[in-house]
Amino acid sequence: MILHTLNRSPATSRVYQQTLDAMASEDRLLLIEDGVQGALPSLSPLFGELSGRLYVLQEDVISRGLEERCDPSIHVVNVDGFVLLTEEADKIVSWF
Amino acid sequence: MRYALLVQGSPYSNQASHSALRFSHGLIARGHQLATVFFYHDGVYNAARLALPPQDEPHLVDEWRELHVRQSTELLVCIASGLRRGIVDEQEASRHGKTGHSLEAPFELTGLGQLIDAGLTHDRLVTFAP
Repeated sequence: MILHTLNRSPATSRVYQQTLDAMASEDRLLLIEDGVQGALPSLSPLFGELSGRLYVLQEDVISRGLEERCDPSIHVVNVDGFVLLTEEADKIVSWF
Repeated sequence: MRYALLVQGSPYSNQASHSALRFSHGLIARGHQLATVFFYHDGVYNAARLALPPQDEPHLVDEWRELHVRQSTELLVCIASGLRRGIVDEQEASRHGKTGHSLEAPFELTGLGQLIDAGLTHDRLVTFAP
């Protein structure tokens, strides 16, 4: 399993499409930095095919004031959870 | 596990350095070792010896140094990226006839081969980019 991270908002960059194209069926995606905007209900359907394999970094959500606004179907993890995701993955690929 | 980080973002320009440092503290808190950080592209500015941020802001260069003290983390700076941007140690400055230097230990100038090596010899390599 590969953990992918994405730090670009799907509202401003189309790199999320390359991310999704590159992901295998068991891979996971963690939204970080401006990428956390992808957890907003208006943008989260773009990641609909990832059901259960989409994560968002809590610290970056909070620093942007979005903690009450995220799609509840997305797993929220803090930095400890981020490290755990890297432990569970064979490798990590960063998209930016 | 032994972790290596690749940092490609310039400090104070984007979030990459902050994200990488936060992840560093997180992995250490979970009992892992941060063995190596490789600074590449604009990431080499993280090693700027003369960085003087305001006292009420995080001092990113000192935070990297602190990781070296705590964990003997190797702080590797890509020499090709560094020379282009004026990030040079005393030896390189002198070799090119420059007075003064902008990089000092525990940061060290190295080649890209060290990055490849980090990918092969560490359990995990995580990239933080601009």
